[in-house]
Amino acid sequence: MTAAADRSVRTAAARAVEARKTYGVGDAAVHALAGVTVDFPEHEFTAIMGPSGSGKSTLMQCVAGLDRLTSGAALIGETDISKLNKTQLTLLRRDRLGFIFQQYNLIPSLTARENILLPLTLAGTKADQSWFDEIVRTVGLQDRLGNLPSQLSGGQQQRVAVARALVPKPDIVFADEPTGALDSRTGIEILTFMRRAVDESGQTIVMVTHDPHAASYADRVLFLADGQIVDSMEAPTADKVLDRMKQFEG
Amino acid sequence: MLKLVLSSVRHNLGRYLATLIAIMTGVGFYTAVGVVSDGVISSLEGNVDAEYGNVDVAVVPDVTATADETAADPEALKVPQPTVDQLLTLPGVEGGAGILTGSVAFLGSDGKPFATSAVGRLWITDQDLNPLSLADGDAPASTGEIAVDRGTAGDHGLDVGDDLTLLTLAGKEKVTLVGITEFGDSAALDGDGTVSVTEADAFDWLNSGQAEYESYYLRGSEDPDDLVASAGEVLPDGFEVQTGDEFRADQRETTGSFAQGLKTALRAFAVLALLVGGFVIFNTFSVIVAQRLRELAVLAAIGATPRQLKRSLRLEGLVLGLVGSLLGVVAGYVLTLLLDGVLKVTGGSLPGGLGFGLSNVLGGIALGTIITVLSVMIPARRAARTEPIEAMRDAAVESAELGRTRGIVCVVLVALGVAAMLLTDELAVVGIGAVAIIAAVLIGAPYLAKGGARLFRPLLERFGMEGRLAVDNSVRSPKRTATTANALLIGVFLVTLVAVAGASVRDFAVGEVSDLQSADYVVVSQGGSLDDAFVSDLATIEDVNDVVAFRREPVTIDGTATVASAGDVSELAKVANIAVESGALADLASSGDGSGTIAVIDTGEGATPDIGGTVTVTDSRGKDVELRVVAVLEPTQDTAQTGSIIDTTTFESLVGDVAPTLAFVDVASGAQGKTKDDIQNLAAVRPDITAQEGNAVGKLIGTVFDFLIKAVTGLLLMSVVIAIIGIINTMSLSILERRRELGLLRIIGMTDNRVRRMVTLESVLISLLGTLGGLVLGLVVSLLLLVSINRDSQAAVTPSIPWIELVVILVLGVLIGVLAALLPARRSTKLEVLDAISAT
Repeated sequence: MTAAADRSVRTAAARAVEARKTYGVGDAAVHALAGVTVDFPEHEFTAIMGPSGSGKSTLMQCVAGLDRLTSGAALIGETDISKLNKTQLTLLRRDRLGFIFQQYNLIPSLTARENILLPLTLAGTKADQSWFDEIVRTVGLQDRLGNLPSQLSGGQQQRVAVARALVPKPDIVFADEPTGALDSRTGIEILTFMRRAVDESGQTIVMVTHDPHAASYADRVLFLADGQIVDSMEAPTADKVLDRMKQFEG
Repeated sequence: MLKLVLSSVRHNLGRYLATLIAIMTGVGFYTAVGVVSDGVISSLEGNVDAEYGNVDVAVVPDVTATADETAADPEALKVPQPTVDQLLTLPGVEGGAGILTGSVAFLGSDGKPFATSAVGRLWITDQDLNPLSLADGDAPASTGEIAVDRGTAGDHGLDVGDDLTLLTLAGKEKVTLVGITEFGDSAALDGDGTVSVTEADAFDWLNSGQAEYESYYLRGSEDPDDLVASAGEVLPDGFEVQTGDEFRADQRETTGSFAQGLKTALRAFAVLALLVGGFVIFNTFSVIVAQRLRELAVLAAIGATPRQLKRSLRLEGLVLGLVGSLLGVVAGYVLTLLLDGVLKVTGGSLPGGLGFGLSNVLGGIALGTIITVLSVMIPARRAARTEPIEAMRDAAVESAELGRTRGIVCVVLVALGVAAMLLTDELAVVGIGAVAIIAAVLIGAPYLAKGGARLFRPLLERFGMEGRLAVDNSVRSPKRTATTANALLIGVFLVTLVAVAGASVRDFAVGEVSDLQSADYVVVSQGGSLDDAFVSDLATIEDVNDVVAFRREPVTIDGTATVASAGDVSELAKVANIAVESGALADLASSGDGSGTIAVIDTGEGATPDIGGTVTVTDSRGKDVELRVVAVLEPTQDTAQTGSIIDTTTFESLVGDVAPTLAFVDVASGAQGKTKDDIQNLAAVRPDITAQEGNAVGKLIGTVFDFLIKAVTGLLLMSVVIAIIGIINTMSLSILERRRELGLLRIIGMTDNRVRRMVTLESVLISLLGTLGGLVLGLVVSLLLLVSINRDSQAAVTPSIPWIELVVILVLGVLIGVLAALLPARRSTKLEVLDAISAT
């Protein structure tokens, strides 16, 4: 992989600068993020790892505009999202970001097709039909588009969620433990598909996970502990990640 | 367990607020209706047993004859003293009491009359027959002594020993107050006060000096039937003798049936309000159970049995029901006090005063509590089924499946209901039919919710994805949507029913009455007379064109008690509405030699005499005369006053040269409003004289109907308000259940405004379903009702559909939806997206 070599020349799809997130005040203050500066370059698959309470989810949520920083800045492209109001944030998420969650979070009354197209419907735009077909074919949902979520298996539902995140061609996709609720075989399918979206379509993905095997699909793994980036690893493998994680426990 | 329940109620007071308000409103309304209608009814029907308890035989004018359908109160025959003397000497008679009443008033020291609607009564000296008892002082024994009831004495600060001026038919009388009376537990026998006077004074003041009684009651040791038989022999025509039991039953019936009907109707509304409250209570508890599922599951996990869970919820219902009902009873009383206060300020008062009976209090509390506990049953069963595992699950969603039985029951009920309303004459069956149709709609409401959602889908989809999702959400749990909409449906149904059926009947009644034109004013002296001075006073009032005085006397015609009058018929025809059916009034003249003439009224009942035929007229002293019929008159308001008209010569030979008691007044057109006060003021000086505006009955009926419709609609709107609380609850629950979903929608790009709009649309959809359902049901049932009424009574009540009101109701329905969504919509976006989506 050549991602590491030219990272410095690539544009960042998202950035955090001196990002701090503090809960509570005074002695009771807890620093979920204690000054994190990080770039998420375009066309790269970044995994964020760390023990519970390390701030990995907070980092992702703040960069994705789901949560606000106490201080510092979070940028999507050149947009400083800390300066946006609630509605602007919502529109930014709708138009430029994609989300995949551990719980599939589909709308139960909409069919698989309607769920996939939901962000576009909300924006009032039409899907690029060939792109839609391609994604649906890749995730293997051609025969399932008319079904309601309750008629789909967990893996299928998550594939709908992945397709929903990718169809609008967002600048960046944020995934929070996307395989957490899936069996390992289905998990591998989803991860493989995410990997291909980066390699073949130049998608940018930021994934929070605690699963070393999932992290091994990324181009780079960032390790967080106590609200700070303590390490990063290029071209990770499951074993190397596991070893690194063990140091936190020690 | 009780401790847990109480602490749960205490800690969740906010959640229970809606339930409490629902119970309070329902019970408060019920209590208020009870208090008011108790007063109204007791004032209408009086206390027959207390008043006539010891009467063994009653001698009364033949009521079947005098109570013909005339608007006026014709002066009935009176029992003359000689007859009474005969009655009292009958074997077995131990005591008797004569009833004689008349209008009286007091003249204050400032020259202003007070207690102007009081009734002067002959003081009955027979202890057993006298309904009144003395609360203070002595009975009036010698002339000039009076006793007044406790209420009047209290209101006007009268004390025993006061010297007063009493306005009577005979003029001003100086009197001394010697006693304060009461009637059983209540202050007065007559709603507006009773003034008791001695027998001699009663004859002089209340009955123009004639020794007569309106009715006479006997007390005896003999078998009442024997007494009746022997009394019948000494009585002249036109009187009826009844046993005490017959008499009491008659009294109850004539005075009480209207009141009982009114009470039943009012109670029915109150119970309906409670039922609508029941829907809301049911909804609220469903919400509470869903919100507390986790807590209940934890309880189940640590070993609470289903029975315990169920019981804990039922206990909560009981506690809430009791507290809510208690507050409701208090609220109800406060409401009636306010109402009374408002009426007092405007110069009126609740008829019969306020009856703070224990039965109202207990009934309100019991009903409120029972309905609350019943409404908790289903949510409690749901709570009992809580599995420990649900502590770890998302909020469960009700199934959207509807059983087949439900559909079958609905169709059968509708078919039976329509058949019952269209095919039978029995009023009770028609009522049951209406109830069956209503029940069918309520049971079938989930189908309506599904169908209605489908119907509105295209409309709502115009609002974009949020509209689409709003429709989907409402059918996701059609039963819950239906229950919510039902509360509104019932309210709107009742409002529509009252609006359509009420307006139709009102228009019909007013139309019927306004056909009967009349003189501008009718002035009547009850017991006194319209002397020349008064008539000329009346005639000199500005804008009064003409005053036609008539003499009127009670008579019997062919054995039927009625009134007959005499006067200038050609003048009368100018100012009053006298319609001649056949013959001619001009022929009304006597050749003097006993060949008198009469114009009779076609009452529509019995055989009307032909022109040229004869009728026998008997005066109150039993003198007979045969009169030739020269004209038959149509029944109008004015002929209701005059009764049959006899030529003057014959009239005078029959009853003597008496003063007129009846006058028709014609005023300049357009001056009716201006002259009204002058005429009323003139009449007010004389307690016996009342001035009635022409066609007052038509106006009165219109006003009464309008008032009733408005009052009932106002009360029903309260049930609509309760329904709003229900929608708020359902929407809150729906939002709670879909927290994650809403969170997700916001994450992937639905702005808060659109989320709120989605919630609002769903709420509007529910209220539209309820409103439309109620409107259609109300229209259908009222039309069916009118068809039944028409067929039953052969009346032709044309349905008057108040379209404007119906459109207003529909618009209100939408507004209610928007209003009810305000809070839930705000709540839907209050949560941070991350909290919304985090798995809890």
